[in-house]
Amino acid sequence: MRKKTLTSAAALAVAAALALTACGSGDDSAKPLADVSVQEKTKAATVLDQPFEKPDLVLKDTRGKDYDFRERTKGRPTLIYFGYTNCPDVCPLTMSNIAIARKSLPKADQDKLQVVFVTTDPERDTSAELAKWLPSAGDPSFVGLTGDFPTIQAGARQLGIGIDPATKEKDGSVVSMHGAQVIAFSPKTDAGYVLYGEDTSADDYAKDLPKIIKGETP
Amino acid sequence: MTPHTPRTRTRARAHGPSPAPRLGRGLAVAIGLTATLALAGCSSGGGSSGQPELSVSGAYMPQPVSDLAAGFLVITNRGGGADKLTSVTGDLSDDITIHRTEKQKMMEVTSFDIPPGGELDLERGGSHIMFMDIKRRPQQGENVNIELHFEKGDPIAVELPVKETTYNPAQQ
Repeated sequence: MRKKTLTSAAALAVAAALALTACGSGDDSAKPLADVSVQEKTKAATVLDQPFEKPDLVLKDTRGKDYDFRERTKGRPTLIYFGYTNCPDVCPLTMSNIAIARKSLPKADQDKLQVVFVTTDPERDTSAELAKWLPSAGDPSFVGLTGDFPTIQAGARQLGIGIDPATKEKDGSVVSMHGAQVIAFSPKTDAGYVLYGEDTSADDYAKDLPKIIKGETP
Repeated sequence: MTPHTPRTRTRARAHGPSPAPRLGRGLAVAIGLTATLALAGCSSGGGSSGQPELSVSGAYMPQPVSDLAAGFLVITNRGGGADKLTSVTGDLSDDITIHRTEKQKMMEVTSFDIPPGGELDLERGGSHIMFMDIKRRPQQGENVNIELHFEKGDPIAVELPVKETTYNPAQQ
């Protein structure tokens, strides 16, 4: 019992640290995490000592069909990212980096890897919008999900990612936010065991993906 | 072609997404060229200590993936006075704004400070110039012309070379 309490306390601490990680410049934004309960294994990857369980997330895909994240990605190496299409910088950067790294893999590995983009701005990001954006920001193989904001927010929260709903400013502009990390799930355990910050390059992903596809620690 | 600093051009309007002043195509190109040549030494204060002296470096635009684009650059102020970046205009979009990013949230701002002896860094993951509803999708290798407007200094014309979508000089 005591162990369990400690574990969830640690998980909370990680989540808190993640939520605090500012969007910014530092290459070492992941460093403070090392003091909590994670170790940095490579330059880009942060391997979690206490992996996240796959979130229970049922949303609509780019064709408007139900997509059960747990069921569809079971036993498959999976990357998940929360972002929005009206995002000029970090979201297309993240999707493009992953797309480039994916293309560097052998074909069989490319087919295994599941890349899932969940919108944080479902009001504007309909299935049709995601269908238009994802192939050009990332790759046609990427899964784009949209649905109710509370469902998306709850799914993100299960991964320690805090997202707020999009808000409309007085001038009519919409302020949305993207998640701070990409999370990789192991095909062996289905657990979310590695985090990548937004400074992760296509090369970093290309180096780590072969290991993630086998469920190994990068 | 005599180099011609843009300093004699009209002053910037305070703010707003209004389109750039109409220029002949040739003139725009000439300004773009001279800007790249003259930026390093583009001082408007003539060395007097209370004036900002701005120069621009490291400008680029990642190749857009939709009708949105972002621009990045560094503005260095070698002068003794503060200035502010108040707006950006250009022919790629009639709706160009400046944003800061804080905790994964992007917010429009009315100006960015450029402190004396300091610099304003618009870089990936942080503050940027945002182009909405772009009129065409510039491809890698092309250039996008913009004009930066300041509270005190004269406008500066800048060419943004279009780089690959994932370009990030911070990782070089």
